[in-house]
Amino acid sequence: MAVNLKRSSGEDSDGGKTSRRRMLGWLTGVGLFGSAGLSAVSNFVFIKPRATYGQPQRFSVGKPEDFPEGTRSVLGARGICIVREGTKLAAISTTCTHLGCTVASAETGFACPCHGSRFDPDGNVTGGPAPRPLPWFQVTLAPNGEIEVDKDIEITPGSYLTL
Amino acid sequence: MSPVTPPKPSPFAALLELPGNVWKSIFRNPLPSNDLERSATSFTNFFLHIHPVKVHKNSLRPTYTFGLGLVSFFLFVILIVTGILLMFYYVPSTTQAYDRMLDLRGTVAFGTLLRNMHRWSAHAMVAVVFLHLCRVFLTGSYKKPREFNWVVGVVLFLLTLFMSFTGYLLPWDQLAFWAITVGTAIAGYAPIVGKDMQFLLMGGTSVGQEALLRFYVLHVAVLPSVLILAIAIHFWRIRKDGGLSRPEDADPTINLEAIPAVKASVLEPKKTYGLQGLVRGPLTKVGQIPDNTVFSWPNLFLAELFTFVVTLSAILIVSLLFNAPLEEPVNALHPPNPAKAPWYFLGLQEMVSYSAFWGGIGVPTIFVLLLLGTPYLDRGPKGVGKWFSRDRLLANTIFITFVVANIIFVIIGTFFRGANWSFVTPW
Repeated sequence: MAVNLKRSSGEDSDGGKTSRRRMLGWLTGVGLFGSAGLSAVSNFVFIKPRATYGQPQRFSVGKPEDFPEGTRSVLGARGICIVREGTKLAAISTTCTHLGCTVASAETGFACPCHGSRFDPDGNVTGGPAPRPLPWFQVTLAPNGEIEVDKDIEITPGSYLTL
Repeated sequence: MSPVTPPKPSPFAALLELPGNVWKSIFRNPLPSNDLERSATSFTNFFLHIHPVKVHKNSLRPTYTFGLGLVSFFLFVILIVTGILLMFYYVPSTTQAYDRMLDLRGTVAFGTLLRNMHRWSAHAMVAVVFLHLCRVFLTGSYKKPREFNWVVGVVLFLLTLFMSFTGYLLPWDQLAFWAITVGTAIAGYAPIVGKDMQFLLMGGTSVGQEALLRFYVLHVAVLPSVLILAIAIHFWRIRKDGGLSRPEDADPTINLEAIPAVKASVLEPKKTYGLQGLVRGPLTKVGQIPDNTVFSWPNLFLAELFTFVVTLSAILIVSLLFNAPLEEPVNALHPPNPAKAPWYFLGLQEMVSYSAFWGGIGVPTIFVLLLLGTPYLDRGPKGVGKWFSRDRLLANTIFITFVVANIIFVIIGTFFRGANWSFVTPW
């Protein structure tokens, strides 16, 4: 308190009062514009959905028996392709990494009808404008024996779930 | 003798004069027959008072502006009116939207016509706003003191694109769905904020019900509000920046050197000065006599009415002759081949097919930043108010190069890209 006495009583000879006024002005300005800025940002927080109402990103696709060895089964509605090689299982995205079209299964792997991107059976880009390989999603075996795919978790291509 | 009292008005007389009195209470001025009344008509009418009382002859030259700004505005008016009418029947739901389109076509009175008008006006507005931007650039009209209004104009152009883009999804047909899937994917390539932006736009990870609702709200509420505000600022600034640009020699000037620069209050200290005596710069006609202006009534207003009638007629004729496209309902499993964005984004999509980041984000961002920065980078005062002025050869050449390049990309993307985005000839 003692330290600020001189300033707060306005006795500062070189304009202590003025500088206090300026500082209060600055504080008021920062407060007002800061609040306005925060309100603006909070709008974006509001419109960013915490829950999405589309299809769940984590879902079950059936029992391992549904996918016999050597299967490459495209689940169109889920946007994935279930690949089984021996006892190994994986889920590869069928959403083109270029502009989001749905790729179709082709003899050489996958082909995108929109802009001509082509992928090999592992989802690596072999042609066209696609910038990245098709992502692989995490596959786990649920306690009830069903295969669960989580599209929120991308894993390194080539890492399979061993049954 | 008692003083003459005015005759007591009879109720019948008041009744007889009622229409006239109501009319006079709304419109203070009769149709003008002299210059004083012409001024009064301009500034006592709410809808006219945004105009100056007198307007420069150069601003009325059809070959100077081609009325492009006005046409953009009138298209926007048509879009608001038809858009509000369409809202009476539209439901932003993935299960209903497409059926509502069929209803518009089949059961709603004037439904097809209104949808056609809305669609074609939207396309026209994108094109005309761009042409307006070209006009302003090629006549050097962005130069001081109109720098900021140019910036507002560029923002208006971007808002127009975004308006059109959000409206594109609403019919919920194949064309709409895949154009927006591709368009939002392009947004996703932006560095840092791209993925968040894409997620915010779609309200999820793919184009679905949430995306439709979001695009609807943006299209009918958020963007129109922002656009109307920006248009108001744009118009207001035209007045405050001294009207439309014109060549230096359009106004004869008096020799100011003879008059020493003194404040108005010094000349006659006892006089009370109005606002006109205190403001400076392009706001008033300081040092410009005799002015090369004519009264807005009727010169400007007739020109505006003519522009409006031509715009509305053109849209009506096109809407009666051509139906707005409506493809099959959305099938999220089978994209059309090729899937294309709206035509004004096809230049973008063409560039994206070479490099996703540079084509979709890098080049457009540089282009927009250059556009926004134009008046602050090109500070030379010469060449204002003339088409293709030789003083602005460099700026115009750069601009035209950009425009032609973009038009070529749009043409390639529209006509020369077939299945799998491979190069095809349209004939």
